Amino acid sequence: MPELHPIPSVPDEPPPFLRTWRRVYIAVLLYLAAIIAAFYVFTRAYR
Amino acid sequence: MRALDWAVLVTSLISIVAYGLYRSRGSNTVDRYLLAGKTMPWYAMALSIMATQASAITFISTTGQSYVDGMRFVQFYFGLPIAMVVISAVVVPVFHRTKVYTAYEYLEQRFDGKTRALSSVIFLMQRGLSAGLTIYAPAIVLSVILGWPERVTTSIMGAIVITYTVLGGIKAVTWSDVQQMCVIFLGLVVALVTCIVLLPHSVSLGDAVFLAGEAGRLNAVTTHFDWYDNFNIWSGLLGGTFLFLSYFGCDQSQVQRYLTGRSIAQSRLSLLFNAAAKIPMQFFILFIGAMVFVFYLFVQPPVLFQHMELARIEGTIGYQPIEQRYQHAFEDRRAAALALVEAHHAGDAASARRETADYRRAQNELDAARAEAARLVERSGGAKGFTDTNYIFLSFVTRYLPTGVVGLVIAVIFAATMSASSGEINSLATVTVVDLYKRYFRTGGSDHHYLVASRWATLFWGIYAVMFADWLGRIEALIVAVNKVGSLFYGSLLGAFVLAFGFRRVRGTAAFIGIAAGEAAILATSIFTDVSWLWYNVIGCAVVVITALAVTAAAPSGRSYPTSAKPGMQQAQ
Repeated sequence: MPELHPIPSVPDEPPPFLRTWRRVYIAVLLYLAAIIAAFYVFTRAYR
Repeated sequence: MRALDWAVLVTSLISIVAYGLYRSRGSNTVDRYLLAGKTMPWYAMALSIMATQASAITFISTTGQSYVDGMRFVQFYFGLPIAMVVISAVVVPVFHRTKVYTAYEYLEQRFDGKTRALSSVIFLMQRGLSAGLTIYAPAIVLSVILGWPERVTTSIMGAIVITYTVLGGIKAVTWSDVQQMCVIFLGLVVALVTCIVLLPHSVSLGDAVFLAGEAGRLNAVTTHFDWYDNFNIWSGLLGGTFLFLSYFGCDQSQVQRYLTGRSIAQSRLSLLFNAAAKIPMQFFILFIGAMVFVFYLFVQPPVLFQHMELARIEGTIGYQPIEQRYQHAFEDRRAAALALVEAHHAGDAASARRETADYRRAQNELDAARAEAARLVERSGGAKGFTDTNYIFLSFVTRYLPTGVVGLVIAVIFAATMSASSGEINSLATVTVVDLYKRYFRTGGSDHHYLVASRWATLFWGIYAVMFADWLGRIEALIVAVNKVGSLFYGSLLGAFVLAFGFRRVRGTAAFIGIAAGEAAILATSIFTDVSWLWYNVIGCAVVVITALAVTAAAPSGRSYPTSAKPGMQQAQ
């Protein structure tokens, strides 16, 4: 009897948008920069 | 709570558990029980990750935090997207390809058995301490606000969590988390809308935002640097990145969520969804707190939101002057707020400046009266460092929200507690069985044996969490200590994984010594300095890496230093 049921292998796939993961990561970091900028403007506007 | 509230609460809980158990059918092997057979879609993992991270105290405390201190807490999450990108790019593919059940199993492949064992024990200590607190912290708030006995609340929450986690394994945990996040989102939206509707007719949403800003409650970004301040943009970006790298990259309670993905891409998408959604979600929760603050500009809030402590000091000699001062300050603030709104509407800049000064003066006076009441609590035998921040939101909910919505918000608290707790129990059981029991106590058992062992371990950790929560209730002063102890372990764990992924020359003994040195450095920082806990991870990680590199450099070339790694276990290098 095998010790443990084997863990299935999982495939690697391209992202569903922006074609490469590198582009997706850059998009996430740009999004972070945009959200911090938006919060900064929000803070200044209502200070 | 009225009948409709109970109906909403009970229906929510039953549907969450039933749906989780229904989706967990077929969890009859270890890999299905602990890893869902690697079949989970990205959206289920994404919501499960979010639900596991957001405990009930997150919702209770965050809204209160915004009420008293504004929205700057949101900066704590600025490091999260950076951490998610790093983990998606570096960690996720390695964990999937090495086919591990736990993050610490990978450390044995990369280093040796003792590094894996040390990391596993550090995780069990850290997560085991917080498991009780996850259940206890919301239970004590619910007990004070609703008058429910703490033991009953913790027992009900614990029983529900144990039932579906033991029976259904990670599939039940994940699909329950999905439901729980839906309840949480719905509850928060309804709470915000209701709060805005309850504002006076003469005050629009725009006016409410303006008033919150004038009171300093919309300070979402603060750019000053301070080592001792938890929440500014620098501590958020740097300290937060290290904290979330540790949490999502090294903490099994999170790693296990994305190890269930049916592909590397699905796991990455689940993390990147959190990278995108978490900050807006926290902003939204903090905004609710700011709106509750505006609501209380026009409806007098209690001097203290913890009504049991308030009742205790009301009969003392020093209370009457505080209450009178508080009442005057509230009347002044309300008048100034209304005058400020009128000046704002009229576009009268000179009048607006004058009213703003009055408004802020009254707010400071109100804060001073509340601080005096808190000191009176301490002087009259209450807890040292008394604060009622965690009671503000639920106090508002139970007093002013309509029937049905109250039940929904209480369901949110239950859902958040159960989702965080089930993830913890599930991961504690996994590490116990895979990294310790199977590795050191019973090697070579059958799949069925380890499946049964996993169920028993889950049951053990569930009961432990409930009993620990009960114990915390009797030794309340320990809560602060436990919370602090919980934050002491991540830095050294992160250091171990940074070595594993980034420094190929470093081997087992150097990593082991580095982890021990990192842990010592964090403890020393905690004991001998006032540096904010958010920096502990940076310090611990840096000491682990520097120490391990120094040991590696000092070792004789050729045969470096003793290692207990088995032949063939270094292939991941």
